[in-house]
Amino acid sequence: MIEMDALTKSYRKGAAVTEVLKGVTLRIRQGEFVAVMGRSGSGKSTLLNILGLLDRPDGGLYRLDGTDFSTATDDALSAARNRKIGFVFQQFHLLERASALRNVTLPLLYADDEPDDGTERAKQALAAVGLSDRTHHLPNELSGGEQQRVAIARALINRPSLILADEPTGNLDERAGVEILEIFRRLAGEGRTIVLVTHDASIASRADRTVLLIDGRIADGPGAARAAGLLGDPVAHE
Amino acid sequence: MTRSQRIATDVFASLLAHKQRTVLMMLGVAAGVGVLSAAIVISQGAEERIMGLVEKHGLDMLMVRAGGEVQVFAPQSDRGLATLVESDARAIEDEIPGTELVSVVQNQRGITVVHEDRSVTTRAFGVDADWLEIRRWGTAEGEFISETDMAAMARVVMLGAKVAGALFPEGGAVGRTVRVNNDPYTVKGVFIEMGTDAAGIDDWDDRIVVPFTTSSRRLLNRPYLEQIVIRVADARRVPETAERVRNLLRVRHGVAPGEQDDFFVREPEDIENAALETASTLSALSMAVAITALLAGGMVIMNLMLAAVSQRSHEIGLRRAIGARASDVGRQFLLESLFVALGGGLLGVTAGIVVAAGLAAAGAASSRVTWVPFAIALVSCTLVGLVFGLYPARKAARLDPAATLRQRAA
Repeated sequence: MIEMDALTKSYRKGAAVTEVLKGVTLRIRQGEFVAVMGRSGSGKSTLLNILGLLDRPDGGLYRLDGTDFSTATDDALSAARNRKIGFVFQQFHLLERASALRNVTLPLLYADDEPDDGTERAKQALAAVGLSDRTHHLPNELSGGEQQRVAIARALINRPSLILADEPTGNLDERAGVEILEIFRRLAGEGRTIVLVTHDASIASRADRTVLLIDGRIADGPGAARAAGLLGDPVAHE
Repeated sequence: MTRSQRIATDVFASLLAHKQRTVLMMLGVAAGVGVLSAAIVISQGAEERIMGLVEKHGLDMLMVRAGGEVQVFAPQSDRGLATLVESDARAIEDEIPGTELVSVVQNQRGITVVHEDRSVTTRAFGVDADWLEIRRWGTAEGEFISETDMAAMARVVMLGAKVAGALFPEGGAVGRTVRVNNDPYTVKGVFIEMGTDAAGIDDWDDRIVVPFTTSSRRLLNRPYLEQIVIRVADARRVPETAERVRNLLRVRHGVAPGEQDDFFVREPEDIENAALETASTLSALSMAVAITALLAGGMVIMNLMLAAVSQRSHEIGLRRAIGARASDVGRQFLLESLFVALGGGLLGVTAGIVVAAGLAAAGAASSRVTWVPFAIALVSCTLVGLVFGLYPARKAARLDPAATLRQRAA
């Protein structure tokens, strides 16, 4: 589903050029739940943005579902994001003065094949994350965990095949974080492809496999990761 | 719903959800439009006042009198009395801009009018068909002389109220025959009562009026005129038009520089002109203030929207992430500007009209409420919303979503 070959990305700030991704090669199959681990500043968010068609790589190849989007127009990228990808952010990014229901239906605004059952779908999505009794609440009337669940419901409304989550539990307490990860596990079980970016090994362990991003490159094996001081314990999952 | 309609609905919902923010933005435009509306209302009132003054005091009329500074009562032999002719009037009409209507006037005293056994001696006037309109007088009975009467040199006569009363005490003068200097004329109409002029010298009701062609060829049998009366299109232009008329006639009559004119151009009284000037200045000034206020309101919207774009960068990034195109974001912010401007406009128009009505009640300015301020306000605030919202909208559309989402917000 996801093919990345020797992807590079740099940022220019004034005269200074920072190379963030120095040749990322990655394969993710349909239905996999993959965690991308790395320290802050390792380029995880950049990688996620490229995966999510929010940013273009400077070099290398990225194919999503077999399509190479490197020469796609902004309109085409936007349409693909709308249909194929669902984002979940650390800061939730909900509209403050909109109800949970309105927040969840937001992606429908940009869907040209406007479904008639938008509100129904939204209610189903909220039910799927356990918030049926909170549809009309505003974000400031919801706990952190509930807000993130609204965000997940929003990410699901267009039935995307890929879910990208950037430190989804970063702003949550431990219990809420566990609940969120449970939801991700369940979604993975339903066959969706999930890529979750985190710096926390215990969170990464909930995924099917972990990919390490060290110094702008994908590193192999737990040995390298430990050497880079990322892991305390061996990465044990399966 | 189309994409645009969905976006518009979403914008509307957002504006409602953020009432305080929306109202704040509306205030800028509301103030500008309010001032504009008040200015328009006051301006319209001033224009009305101008028109009223013009009509009441004949401020848009120029009178050219034959004979220089010499009074009309002076003996016939005085130099200059026989030099004003019909072609002068036509020249004035054709060559001087702003002259809306022109009429020749001949007049002579000592004309006898007889009906059966009654007779009066009165003053006869020979005029063009436009004369009644220029003088803004009216007929009480019958009709005024027409172009056809002019063409035919018809023996038709208009009677002043006193003359009609003397000859036809029981009324019913129209259609009857009277003898004017022994010639039979048909009475075509009777003037309304008009009293005397400001000096008390001229009795306007003691006169008869015939077509100029009739007076020049039949009744008085001479071509030269006593007067030319002119309606000037814009009463504020009377002085310059008067000067143009003077120059034209000097050329036509061969008056050398330094020589005395053989005619006199009388302008309306100065006092009323001053009032005209004041009303006119008030009108122009209030419009200038209003436009400035409206532009200021637009600047407020632009700055508030720019600040909003910065503040809402995460919202923009999020919308892009869930599939909004750059153009969708641009459209969203432009519509926000537009809706805010229209809302502010509505608020402003209402306030402005209330203020203007208040001023009118306090006697500070005359005002008249019509649909005009609403229409102008609607158009101008739409323009303001679009023009001043364009830059922030483009900024929003160009925002790099990856950059905004990369930032770790508090």
